[in-house]
Amino acid sequence: MSNGFDAAALARQALAFCEGDAHVTVTHERSLLSRFARSRPTQATDVDDTDVDILCLADGVPGWATTNGLDEDALRECARRARASAEAAARLGTEEPMSLAPPAAYRTHDGWDAETAQLDARVAGEALATIFEVVETGGLEAFGVWTAGEVTTAIATSAGVTAVDRVTDAAVKVVARDDEGRSGWGAGAGSAIGDLDPVDVAVRALAAAPRDPALSLEPGEYPVVLAPDAVGELLEFLGQTALNGLLHAEGRGALSGALGTRVAAPSINLADSPRYIRTLPRAFDADGTPKAPIALIQDGIANAVVHDRRSAARAGDGAVSTGHAIAPGGAPSGPHATNLVLGGGGASGIAELCKPIERGLFVTRLWYVNVVDGRRSLLTGTTRDGTYMIENGRVSRPVKDVRFTDSVLRILSATEALTATQRLVCDLQFYRRRFASGVVCPALRAHSFRVTGQTV
Amino acid sequence: MLDQLSDLVDHARGRASYAEARRVHTRSEDVSVLDDRCEAVTAAETDGIGVRVAVEGGWGFAATRDTSDAGARRALARAIEIAAAAPKGTPPPRAPLAPDPPGGHWESRWERDPFALSPQARLELLLIATQAMGSDDRIVRRWGGLSARRMTTAFASTEGVAHTQTVTECGGGIQAIAIADGELVVRSYPTAHGGAIAQAGLEHIEALALGANAARVAEEALALLSAPVCPERTTTLVLHPEQVALQVHESIGHALELDRILLGEASYAGTSWVAVDDLGSLRYGSEALNVTADATVPGGLGTFGWDDEGVPAARTPLIVDGVLRATLSDRQSAATIGLDVSGGCARADGFARQPIVRMTNVNLEPGDGGTLDDLIAGTERGIYMETNRSWSIDDRRLQFQFGCELGREIVDGELRGLLRNPSYAGITPRFWGSLDAVGSQANWTLWGLTNCGKGEPGQMMAVSHGTAPARFRDVQVGIA
Repeated sequence: MSNGFDAAALARQALAFCEGDAHVTVTHERSLLSRFARSRPTQATDVDDTDVDILCLADGVPGWATTNGLDEDALRECARRARASAEAAARLGTEEPMSLAPPAAYRTHDGWDAETAQLDARVAGEALATIFEVVETGGLEAFGVWTAGEVTTAIATSAGVTAVDRVTDAAVKVVARDDEGRSGWGAGAGSAIGDLDPVDVAVRALAAAPRDPALSLEPGEYPVVLAPDAVGELLEFLGQTALNGLLHAEGRGALSGALGTRVAAPSINLADSPRYIRTLPRAFDADGTPKAPIALIQDGIANAVVHDRRSAARAGDGAVSTGHAIAPGGAPSGPHATNLVLGGGGASGIAELCKPIERGLFVTRLWYVNVVDGRRSLLTGTTRDGTYMIENGRVSRPVKDVRFTDSVLRILSATEALTATQRLVCDLQFYRRRFASGVVCPALRAHSFRVTGQTV
Repeated sequence: MLDQLSDLVDHARGRASYAEARRVHTRSEDVSVLDDRCEAVTAAETDGIGVRVAVEGGWGFAATRDTSDAGARRALARAIEIAAAAPKGTPPPRAPLAPDPPGGHWESRWERDPFALSPQARLELLLIATQAMGSDDRIVRRWGGLSARRMTTAFASTEGVAHTQTVTECGGGIQAIAIADGELVVRSYPTAHGGAIAQAGLEHIEALALGANAARVAEEALALLSAPVCPERTTTLVLHPEQVALQVHESIGHALELDRILLGEASYAGTSWVAVDDLGSLRYGSEALNVTADATVPGGLGTFGWDDEGVPAARTPLIVDGVLRATLSDRQSAATIGLDVSGGCARADGFARQPIVRMTNVNLEPGDGGTLDDLIAGTERGIYMETNRSWSIDDRRLQFQFGCELGREIVDGELRGLLRNPSYAGITPRFWGSLDAVGSQANWTLWGLTNCGKGEPGQMMAVSHGTAPARFRDVQVGIA
């Protein structure tokens, strides 16, 4: 139960209205998000909403329906529509009949925090005031967001699965910006408000903000040091292009045909690890399959991709769900690794990573990254909020933001060193229903990063 | 429904200097076919109330699925609470509404209800298309999808505004993905990213003629597998209207959002290379560039009776003969720069998000360039590109790079062989400054985009862009 709301009971109630094999998911979100710009609060959003998603199977073919009406009539109608959807789909037949996930024991976690679940607007107000004060000490203006949320997920299925997961999350991000548009970035996130340090985040944003005029940089290949936020963004896209079991099975993935081969430097160890320290833990996936760690790249060798039940069926050859469904029955886009962890290395920090570089680039974060060629994990995007030259082993002069067009696997193959310290990187976008996830990763140094353009 | 909302905002009087309430009911159905099987059939229905208040200089917004009177009042109380908890600031200005704002009901046009067609019938329509893509083993995905959505909104505010409106949208598309010798190509029709969606009925879906175009889509995918890669050079670029639409969206529409220009989105969506002082004087592009924000054009996904602050739909020239004349604004951003009225561009994604500045239908007005064939015939050497495949632009909407599904060489005014993975890059004012021809009215079409992301928490918005084929000189191509 959360604030008197019993998601599990609601899931059971909806299941009782379903005909045949069915899977009911109840997702209850309570969240608070406060935005600010020019060191003033601008928008504050409080959401209290609940989705009931019903998957029905007709002859092993799924159909879906969703409602946020919780009365008996709404639940009955949702169940009816799900059944009608499945029956319509079943008329086209299937070669891979779906079955519901069997009941399985799942481990609890420490990803719920009572203080965070209070969603106290005064805590947000105090955080904003603190950030404004810190950023003002540097003569800059603060832009950003503070947010906290609680999401309860309950599953009840005709196969006997009954599962409840409660998670909280909290995050803050700050852009410190001057009148010339030069800006720096700081961010923090965790399962609890107590994990956040608005002062530290604001100080980091101030430190990342360039104070001198920015240089131009010609397109070409440069040694690079990528801060954790930049690394996390690349790995998130690696999850989409290379680690997605559906794309892999269809030959569309960047690791298709490459499992067991070297795809990255020996220092690269990438896993999906739902209870790793600093990650945002989850007990089970959208199918109710328990979450468990899985090694994806070990010592630079591609080891595995992630699956839901749908992608595993498409892959065949003994593939099974690894607990990475992001929608009941598997999303058409395939499974997704929501708890990526890149192992740290031996470098003490950014300064040590920069030491061997005579002339290179330091990147705080990336922006508007998009896939150019998924099969090569080839992406394009720009740098933002703190791009600098590295000269003679030190971060030196600011550089105008650059466009990169490069392959994630190529960057990971060119990786020479990683910091020992890792950070949780979250995108905080929260389109549709809140689903907090992130990548735990260190900063890294790669000997080559392909710059293909520059802004003016 | 309006009475409930009017009562609700009345309860805010004395506690908030302004309050508005929206109740939004949305019904949607999506079906898709993969190869010759159903990929997904989904039906969704949501209902809820969002309340926004101004209290002591701050804004608060709360949303609830509990549409009872008590639930709505609890949401109002939460909105007031979070607004009051924020650090105190200056009360936000709001551009005034016109006196005695008209109320009533507005409804988008459609001839035949898209929900009247059963999921089974929609699947069969798609199956015809995917089967028409043939059985070549190199095609690993034959996909088709159809969507329908109906959204009814009721709105009331403490300024006496009260109205309802209903929008019906539908459409779809098909796609073939082919793989051979390590190469993957994508071919879509009529657009990428899910297909062509419009405010319309079944007549729109039928006009798409998905089945009739499926064999061509598959043939082009297979032909692209062995096509040479787009060469790297600076040359003349001719764009299909669908790609022109995305170009307008990314490098004009977002750049002219006044909240970005005023730095309100600096931490997420970004800012703009355009400044307020540029209004009336900035040369955004060549004299062939005429852009209008039009929330009144039938069929557009950005067409409505009123925006989500209760401002009536408007048609606003943004760029005239290449010179910047106006921006996209809501009441707050308009008042901030001293405008008398809002541009009517406040839109919210459902009941659980608050209105922010969004595009309506940002249209590139037709020119005198004739047809696509005319533009190509007038090109000695160049590259033609169609159907977006990838897109990226910096946070000031200045430096961009786009990839398309299909390219062709243009030699002596004629299209030649296919080019794989065509791409181009540019700087916004230079690129639009190189625009030398826009197709004529008869070749002008609205293109819907349903995945425009902005705001925190994130909001997806559906917008359209009216465009014709266009030609640009001296563009860097083959960048990726």
